[in-house]
Amino acid sequence: MPHRGIHPRRVVPKTGRSSMSTASNEPPAEVKPKSAEKAQDTPATTPAPTNGEPQAQGEKAAPPAAPKLSNAELKAKAKAEKQARRAQAKAAQNAAPGGGSTPTSAGQSGPQVTEPKGNKAKGKPDGGRPADSGATGKAVGSKGSIPAPLPKPEGLIPECFSHLSMAKRLPITQADKDVHPTVLAIGQKMAIFGIDESIARLEATLLAFKKVIESYTTPPGNTLARHLTPHVLNPQIEYLSACRPMCFSMGNAIRWLKLQVSKIDPDVPDSEAKKLLCSSIDAFIQERIKFADVVITEKAADCVQDKSVVLVYGRSSLVEASLLLAHSKGKKFDVIIIDDPSEQKGQILAKTLIEKGIRVTYSGDFGALQSHVELANIVLLGSEGMFSNGALYGRAGTCDVAIAAKDHGKQVYTLCETINITERVSTDSLTFNEIHPDHCSSKSFRLLYDTTPSDYLSIVITEISSAQPTSVSYLLRKLEDSN
Amino acid sequence: MQRIVATYHRLLADDPELTMPMATIEALIEALGASSATTVFETMKLVEGQSERLRESPQVANPMAVCHGSDFFKQYLVRELRQLPSSAGAASKDQQFEEIRQHLLRNARLFATRAKESREQIASEGRLLIPDNSTILTHGGSRVVSMLLGRAAERVNGSLPRRFKVIYAISESRRAESERAVATLREKGIRVAIIPEGGVAHIMQQVNIVIVGAEVITAQGGIISRLGTYQIAKLAKIDRKPFYVAAEQHKLGQTFPTSQFNYGVPAFKQDLLDFQSNKSPNGNVANGLTADEKRAIEVQSANPVDFTPPDLITNFICDHGIKSTVAMEHQVIDMFVS
Repeated sequence: MPHRGIHPRRVVPKTGRSSMSTASNEPPAEVKPKSAEKAQDTPATTPAPTNGEPQAQGEKAAPPAAPKLSNAELKAKAKAEKQARRAQAKAAQNAAPGGGSTPTSAGQSGPQVTEPKGNKAKGKPDGGRPADSGATGKAVGSKGSIPAPLPKPEGLIPECFSHLSMAKRLPITQADKDVHPTVLAIGQKMAIFGIDESIARLEATLLAFKKVIESYTTPPGNTLARHLTPHVLNPQIEYLSACRPMCFSMGNAIRWLKLQVSKIDPDVPDSEAKKLLCSSIDAFIQERIKFADVVITEKAADCVQDKSVVLVYGRSSLVEASLLLAHSKGKKFDVIIIDDPSEQKGQILAKTLIEKGIRVTYSGDFGALQSHVELANIVLLGSEGMFSNGALYGRAGTCDVAIAAKDHGKQVYTLCETINITERVSTDSLTFNEIHPDHCSSKSFRLLYDTTPSDYLSIVITEISSAQPTSVSYLLRKLEDSN
Repeated sequence: MQRIVATYHRLLADDPELTMPMATIEALIEALGASSATTVFETMKLVEGQSERLRESPQVANPMAVCHGSDFFKQYLVRELRQLPSSAGAASKDQQFEEIRQHLLRNARLFATRAKESREQIASEGRLLIPDNSTILTHGGSRVVSMLLGRAAERVNGSLPRRFKVIYAISESRRAESERAVATLREKGIRVAIIPEGGVAHIMQQVNIVIVGAEVITAQGGIISRLGTYQIAKLAKIDRKPFYVAAEQHKLGQTFPTSQFNYGVPAFKQDLLDFQSNKSPNGNVANGLTADEKRAIEVQSANPVDFTPPDLITNFICDHGIKSTVAMEHQVIDMFVS
């Protein structure tokens, strides 16, 4: 069996000590001035998939420094100073009422989890995606009990993995004052993996940004096209990517949104411009998420044949919807669920399918993977993203399943909305990845994703066309041409 | 109303050179002429309905070819509509559309003529692929391949005839068709040997290149072709012989077969497996099928096809040149995604 594409799901660093010692000298995360954190942040974020941030910082630095300074370095310095001042003021404020750490930890565990929920109901009029109903409730409950102040994570990860980003559990109190409450809420939810799937995060983000735009008024002397992005949207984006590194779809959509804002004619009155933006966000959600999901589900359901056995990995809402649709079309098929032992979302899928009367074989880990694959006719995989060289960015473990399927000559179908396709290229699992904040020690840490090379995939089903994975870049170009 | 189906079969019978997607297009144009549709919407609906009727008809041997033909035609109509100046009102747009319709009806044969021209084009492209003193393996009754080989044996614009031999794999069930093709080639002075399909692996060592035709080019750059093509492609792959497909571009389409038993077209019901024993002489002729479904299985299984995936195909010989399978896939995306 070829091991070319297998990637470590648990990376054990060998040189953890030296970086540890430097880390322990640093102040704990919550009282640390923001500037220091920013400085640490920048090297990590530049290669990581959080686009828009470096640019955002640059733009944000412009206003205070503009009149007297021309040099870019001076600008950055002035900005850092300003942020340090602000952070210090904030830290002092925190310390004043009841001691340094108590309010933050309190805010982190119980109340903080419930508070965003209240906000969220207000923020998301449609009641959120049905997909994360049962799953989130459980996840939130279990994770809420975890002791809040995480150790400074960067210190634990050896330097060679320091480019990998991690969700941060940024307390609300540390957020920029410009961050909209709705965005605060979804940021917290993303940080605790309450909203987890790429497409769900994208939808939540867009709906929140709609709220942000609705509550926005252009200050006198500014135009919406020039003011909205740097002063209002960028702080939201910064905050969201601090809570959890942005996924590819969010990056794509935010780039699109900024373009739409920049296109607004300065002569158009505020209310009209806002209406225009909101309706184009709605259209975007409708077209690239809702409609895309309908089309992909339909196509994937057609691929499931009568009297066949489908093997799936973990739980993806697209795969779940496809299986349910195929079942409702009257097809008889069995499902084998291979689950990630550290997430066990597949159990939720198993329950849903069994309720509908689909026969399910559940395997909690990769034991007997080979023989399960042998029994299957096709493999259906969900995806977190797709690189333009046709590699699949999916839940850790996806690659192992795909390789096993290829070995046995089974067809591997990948379901992916085009918004999840990035123009980046990746051949390994360590260029882009994310570390799970709860499973991160100096001895080992858990990676959330892996990359499956295109050789192990048969077909990518997107809303515009089913294609071989290597044609994904062509689809992307086609999309750009038509927009 | 089964008129469209009758027209389709009449067109195919009248002109043995006509391909199935082209016959579909011509039948649709004829249906358009007979109808009284005047608006864009009515016309599209008519085309939609007629092509569905044709596709679902149990008399049609290859519903995938119908699919591709009608998709191609619809796409053509849409493209024509898009080119209309959008400034004009809806009423004048319909009027302009009427002009397109009239133009279509007047030039109904144009599609077919162009298709035949493209066959010539393929012949001149493919000529250069034939190595000197080579042996070519082919099978089936493809008209494109016959023309390609025939032209290659002629002197064209001063370039000398190619020197080559042909091995023709013949299947028992379609002997007459193959023998006709062999006779035509021999008439042109090409040396042709005949072997049964079971002998392909045996003679593969002697073969330099394989050239076959196709009924349909699928969206991922594979082909649907006469039963046996897949087998030859696999054997050619094992012996590392180049496997070329000569096919016109109008055979391209959006169908996406995923395996030998799932061609992605519900109307396609080919079923070659008839398990029988002396105790159950009726085999698996399933009960509960409607008469139409039984008829469809019968018709389609009489002209069986198989699917050759793109990784077994070296290149396509097309009217626009020699194209890789990926290029064909991109062409499908170009045609239908905009």
